[in-house]
Amino acid sequence: MSAAGQGWNRREFVGAASLLALALGVPAAAIRLTDLDAQDAPTERQRSLMTRVADLVIPRTDTPGAADVGAGDFVILALAHGLSETRAPMAAANVTAALAPFRRHNGSLRYLAWLENALDRSASGDFLRHPRERQAEILAALDEAAFAKEAPFSPWNAIKGLILTGYYTSEAGGSKELNYELVPGKWEWNIPLTPEMRAFSSDWTAVDFG
Amino acid sequence: MTDNEGQFDAIVVGSGITGGFAAKELTEAGLKVLMIERGRKIEHQVDYETETKAPWEMEFRGEGDTALYERDYAVQMLNRHFTEFTQNHFVNDAEQPYQKAPGKDFDWFRSYQLGGRSLTWGRQCYRWSDYDFGANKRDGVGTDWPIRYAELAPWYDRVEEFVGVSGAREGLAQLPDGHFLPPMELNVVEQAVRERIRAKYPERVLTIGRTANLTEARPEQGRAHCQYRSICARGCSYGAYFSTQSASLPAAQKTGRLTVVTDAQVHRLSYDPATRRVTAVHWIDTRTGEHKRAHSRIVFLNAGSFNSVHVLLNSRSEAMPNGLANSSGVLGTHIMDHASTLAAKAIMPGFEDRTTFGNRPTGVVIPRFKNMETLDGDGFTRGYSYQGGAMQSTWTQGKRMGGIGAEYKDKLHQVGPWSMVLVAFADSMPRASNRLTLSKKLDPRGVPQLEIAFEHGAEEHAALADAKKEAAAMLTHAGGKVIMGFDRPNHGGTAIHEMGGARMGWDPQTSVLNRWNQAHDAANLFVTDGAQMSSSACQNPSLTYLALTARACDAAVSMLKEGRI
Repeated sequence: MSAAGQGWNRREFVGAASLLALALGVPAAAIRLTDLDAQDAPTERQRSLMTRVADLVIPRTDTPGAADVGAGDFVILALAHGLSETRAPMAAANVTAALAPFRRHNGSLRYLAWLENALDRSASGDFLRHPRERQAEILAALDEAAFAKEAPFSPWNAIKGLILTGYYTSEAGGSKELNYELVPGKWEWNIPLTPEMRAFSSDWTAVDFG
Repeated sequence: MTDNEGQFDAIVVGSGITGGFAAKELTEAGLKVLMIERGRKIEHQVDYETETKAPWEMEFRGEGDTALYERDYAVQMLNRHFTEFTQNHFVNDAEQPYQKAPGKDFDWFRSYQLGGRSLTWGRQCYRWSDYDFGANKRDGVGTDWPIRYAELAPWYDRVEEFVGVSGAREGLAQLPDGHFLPPMELNVVEQAVRERIRAKYPERVLTIGRTANLTEARPEQGRAHCQYRSICARGCSYGAYFSTQSASLPAAQKTGRLTVVTDAQVHRLSYDPATRRVTAVHWIDTRTGEHKRAHSRIVFLNAGSFNSVHVLLNSRSEAMPNGLANSSGVLGTHIMDHASTLAAKAIMPGFEDRTTFGNRPTGVVIPRFKNMETLDGDGFTRGYSYQGGAMQSTWTQGKRMGGIGAEYKDKLHQVGPWSMVLVAFADSMPRASNRLTLSKKLDPRGVPQLEIAFEHGAEEHAALADAKKEAAAMLTHAGGKVIMGFDRPNHGGTAIHEMGGARMGWDPQTSVLNRWNQAHDAANLFVTDGAQMSSSACQNPSLTYLALTARACDAAVSMLKEGRI
């Protein structure tokens, strides 16, 4: 799908996130951004921004965080390929003056450009130049507005959803932060649930419908 | 394979649930059988490429490449069982096009491969009752079934014993018990809901789904018991669920009398009006484009409901200008698919300190309770039933929650709250206006495409409206807080129970098949997949297709041996 010879998409790189993950001994998922069309290729700043934003949502605790597992790059790949309906034309009712500048010719939204702009605007300048605590405050405000009851459409909901996907379907997110059991081997219909128990990323029904 | 006279006693077209079973039954009865499959070969245990993959081993983490899907899988992607893990078990819509009649929708979910949809099916196995076989006669819609439950019961026995169906005996007239392996337990919430519903509605029974997953190993079939992964549609190397690959095909191959051809799209049968027999089966080798044919004494058409009708419609000849076995003119008409929708979803408080381990590969069922002894349905004369279950949520609940940071992350690793869903499936009325025809458009191999004209009617809407009301009442009574519910049917096809088009009946002037699944117009032609169905019932149909297939195979072999065909 990519046009041959376009500079960015022929450039091989190993993301900073992947290097960090290697340093931590956490195998990172192979996220290839090199095949994206030029118009979908992120700038280096957008990659840094997305990595940081993902990490603000899911920081490193006693388990790796979103930056450690390359969740930011996954979001960029997912947005380029239209996961979570992010390449579908926007519903007319959702097109506000704030979002209109970020629409493509086909009516779909450039999520990444919107996010970059929204965060820089809230930061009154370069979001990335603020300390992490201030970045978290800015993002928390954006998140709160998007998830408030009766909130109007916000592109943030889809981006946040993809951050979660990127994290919890990574090896660390899926099998260290959560439990992963490919072959349970048995069915136990009623066992005690204690506060220290962790959910299963391999509970496919829960993933799909829970 | 153009001069194979005498080589095959029978040709089976299709290798899915019924085709595979027909091949087994016919070879075990001593016949030499050629089974022709339009899709690629998939070998049990060897070719289940994604079976053991974790999400992080998949490029799109199991969700799949939406851009690719919109281009090549525009219909299949609407199926909730279609994921990055299972996409190789569904057709490429761009390569396998079909037409929808103007203004009508039909989502046709298909698996063209050795094993067909037996690899991807939902595995639910329910007997029909005389409420179902008597439905057309009772309300006068459609043609009367020429059989009743008592005739089919021994064939259900035979099929269940081979397939391996786990389930609980409940003694219900509307959902007869079968030969069950031990049931999988209801989970803690479902057990409570079962008791609470029964306390208020004694005639309503919530029971475990009857599923073709083994709860006990079958070493004689080379099949292990279910491992509670619930990733069946990727293919199961344990052979724990019934598929052509896990059960029917090995049995047929063991006889030494089976020949299998794959990548072979059967598009036409030729017919001799003098003898009133099918004389050859024609296919296109989809890899080379070469046209081939083979002969046999009898032909079993098991191409998969609409595809079997498609082959017959495309087998037009001077003698049968409207399609083979269509002197009645009803071929292609009265197609059906269950009307289904999410009738209710409820939060189930009170079980916060309980959970489960393992992934049970079946839900629960609440069998039909309306229009039984009396016609008490408001605007509908047939049945509906529910399938669903109680579950807990996991990290995906975070997509609906505000919050960022360590606290949010810690919340998401906890096992989430219990909820319960009931999905309603309603009888689809057999209507002449819901029908299949040949389109003027051709597929990439030059065969006229199938055109589907289908819509749900007033009865289905009325049944789902009632189902929504009753589901909310039951879950509320059971202590749940209903948060959503729908009563409009999903698009036709989404139940993946498409059937009819070559219906069975008493009268050659109004039906395509007789009571032995034999074409009224061609004595050596049998159709035993979903195309045969004269009504839909509201329960999953595959087990009934299998029982009718076993019965038809037995009848055909007797007719052959007695020299009657």
